[in-house]
Amino acid sequence: MRLIVNGASHEVAAPDHERLLTTLRDRLHLTGTKLVCGRGECGACTVLLDGAPAYACLTLTAACHGREVSTIEGLAQDGELHPVQQAFIDHDALQCGFCTPGQILAAVGLLDRQPHPSEDDVRRGMSGNLCRCGTYPKIVRAVLAAAEGGAGNG
Amino acid sequence: MAKRFVTTKVEVEGREETKVVELPTREPEPWGVDASLHIVGRRDKRMDALEKVTGEAEYTADVQLPGMLYVALARASVAAGKMQSLDLAPALAMPGVRGAITMDDVPGIKLDGIQVFDRTIHYVYQPIAAICADTQEIAERAVRAIHPAIERLPHVLDAASALAPDAPRVKPHGNLHRASPRVASRGDIAAGLRDAEVTITREYRTPVALHTALEPHGAVAAWSGDRVTVWESTQGIFNTRSDLAEAFELPLSSVRVVKNYMGGGFGAKNGASLAAYTAVALSRKLRRPVRCIFDREGEQTDAGNRTATVQRVTLGARRDGTLTAISLDATIPLGIGGWLSSPARMYSEMYRCANVRTSETFVFTNTAPMASFRAPGNVEGAFGLESAMDVLAHELEMDPLELRRRNYADHDQDKNRRYSAKHLDECYRLGAERFGWSRARSRKRDTSARVRRGVGMASLAWGAGGGPPAYATVRINGDGSIEVLTGAQDLGTGARTVLAQVAAEVLGAKLDDVRTVLGDTERLPFASNSWGSITTASVGPAVRVAAEEARDALFEAAAGMLDTEPNELESRDSEIHAKSSDRCLLFREVCEKLGDVMIIGQGSRGPNPEKTALSAFGAQFAEVEVDVETGRVRVLRVVSAHDSGRIVNPTLAESQLEGGIIQGLGYALFEERILDSRTGVPLNPTMHDYKIPTIGDVPEIDAFFVDIPDTVANHTGVKGVAEPPIIATAPAIANAVADALGVEVAEIPMTPWRVLGSVRGGSIA
Repeated sequence: MRLIVNGASHEVAAPDHERLLTTLRDRLHLTGTKLVCGRGECGACTVLLDGAPAYACLTLTAACHGREVSTIEGLAQDGELHPVQQAFIDHDALQCGFCTPGQILAAVGLLDRQPHPSEDDVRRGMSGNLCRCGTYPKIVRAVLAAAEGGAGNG
Repeated sequence: MAKRFVTTKVEVEGREETKVVELPTREPEPWGVDASLHIVGRRDKRMDALEKVTGEAEYTADVQLPGMLYVALARASVAAGKMQSLDLAPALAMPGVRGAITMDDVPGIKLDGIQVFDRTIHYVYQPIAAICADTQEIAERAVRAIHPAIERLPHVLDAASALAPDAPRVKPHGNLHRASPRVASRGDIAAGLRDAEVTITREYRTPVALHTALEPHGAVAAWSGDRVTVWESTQGIFNTRSDLAEAFELPLSSVRVVKNYMGGGFGAKNGASLAAYTAVALSRKLRRPVRCIFDREGEQTDAGNRTATVQRVTLGARRDGTLTAISLDATIPLGIGGWLSSPARMYSEMYRCANVRTSETFVFTNTAPMASFRAPGNVEGAFGLESAMDVLAHELEMDPLELRRRNYADHDQDKNRRYSAKHLDECYRLGAERFGWSRARSRKRDTSARVRRGVGMASLAWGAGGGPPAYATVRINGDGSIEVLTGAQDLGTGARTVLAQVAAEVLGAKLDDVRTVLGDTERLPFASNSWGSITTASVGPAVRVAAEEARDALFEAAAGMLDTEPNELESRDSEIHAKSSDRCLLFREVCEKLGDVMIIGQGSRGPNPEKTALSAFGAQFAEVEVDVETGRVRVLRVVSAHDSGRIVNPTLAESQLEGGIIQGLGYALFEERILDSRTGVPLNPTMHDYKIPTIGDVPEIDAFFVDIPDTVANHTGVKGVAEPPIIATAPAIANAVADALGVEVAEIPMTPWRVLGSVRGGSIA
């Protein structure tokens, strides 16, 4: 089947029951998308599916035929970081970094739906992404700063 | 001739050890309060952030090698038993399965005192075999085809049943750890209690908490000839190397351990894990690279935990608040193994008191082994001690903060030695001021409202001085770029960044020109585990010495080129200036003229000062809201004031404080491993059922440092930051809840159920 990941087309021979997370990590070697809980509880494997956040661990690859999958590896364009990525760096919104790709894609999805979120909107919108290092206060700041900078309008 | 090797004391996770140290080639003057520093103390950005926001940072779970095989672990489903038979044939017959190992393949290799893949079953989820296959999916399916015959034996799950007279034996020698009870005392506790005008006795309970690092334990191993390379998610590459070398009877130089990035450790990843032993053994057997990564269920059930405690506390005091007696009887179930982390430490160290007696009983149970978990011992002890201090303050009708101030310990009473520095008083003052403590305390409590507010506080101490041995190399390349090489780890703490800041400061280099290289035993000089909040205080001084040596060499080379003397030179922004003239050279220009001459500085960490305790201190203040109808506790704000000596990078250090407080909040309110009381099966081994804080649980946090360099501790003035913030959070929150409700809380986590129990059993109906 054909899978479009970060704008590039791939022919993948994934069995019907294979989840997108496995296809991305083990077949396409896109290891930026992380496996943490594997059952939709933590958000670490968040990707964008036709622009909307989706848990890659709960998404069947077979259901993605012809759809646009965006992973953390494809977020920077022409060597320019996405404003959300830059905001995470600027506000130290990461520690160990393991949840970071999922956090960033969840934030990109949130700002796309809601370009000018309140602090409460950010907390609600990001509440599906767990972080054990406890970078949450900085994540809130980073997402608000990215929104301020117009990240959700592009 | 001066001695080259001496011994010194180093404290790690509450344990003081004697270490041999090689004296550094130089011991620089401490950077004092007035030191003119430009890069140390600056809020630079995390230097590995770019790799992390682009998904390029390679974690152990991301290592993929050609021909790599995947492992799934078969685990026991009973809490105690004897395996009668283990037939792997159905698994091995499946297409794509390449091999398996059992206990017979790893004879004598032990973890937490237990034979790896032991045929005797000690706890539910104990690994019993490993299956290796072409894909993870095949390996997991193959594991499901294994049906071991296990004869069930009676088991015990908690300390009370383990200590019952006719309890089944968990260990051949019995259920008590040999060191039990561990009793320590100073003064005369009986006299102290006689002198007391007020005495309180309470019992406190803390839960088994799970680290829940997002990256699970895992390793990838690949043999080449008689040497093996192991990627492992570890807090200690050199510890892992020696563990593996010993287990597989290899010279240390035949084991290379690599760990570039890791997705959290929190104390549970301090040596070779079961995943590493498994990957190395299978890779040796099959001559292919092998990857063994725990699944989430394995991580939540068999990757270490913080021990539960029961703490029976008696405090005695004079009417004016002077403590006359502190007594603790603690029971601590270890699971099937682990080490003796000490809740007693807080009781003997935190407050001035002549008469202290602590007794700790460590018990084996048929549950998974414990492991260090961020400030092990002190977190548990702080909940008991600091809750009891509030009860005492209440009895004395005294402000809880005032009670703590009146019992300020100005030296380490147990060992009768000075502190290198202690600014807890400043933490009390600034914390109370920023929190508005007096105002909040004097606010009238509305005892009829459904949602009630309260405030509480707690103190903390943690031995975070670090120490030797630690080595660093600083080398300056032909283009003037600089590398700091040391075998330390960055767990997400920011070690990479702060070590580069130290080097850039000494060299007068632009921080952008400096790169820190960590995490490879084959290529880097030794540094110890990144545990006990020691990395910056241990390795930073070694980096400083190495950078000084490199700077001196660079200045000597530049002096010739600038027709002056080295001591006439200074550097800033990677540029060397002659003080007396306006002549200058870029580092790059000097190095290009040197050609292939590489400037290399070596540094090591010197000994700690003698007869001196090196500790970090702090005080936390919390405000909560409690709904007395639902029992729900919401933390509104936390103010956290810390004394950790000089802070190299305030932004990164504050991130650690916030993280510690948030983990402490989880410990206070949600986190608890729950076992089925009949079978010992963990009931919440998922991230949905084992609740860690989400972004929605986070209060307003004001966490800061008094930032006074500790010039006695080491010549960089730095002490540790990582563990202190988690210590005081649970008691500060519990004290705030008690303040809100007017009834005490004696057990955490303070789930709605428990809070309602307190409310209904207390004075509020």
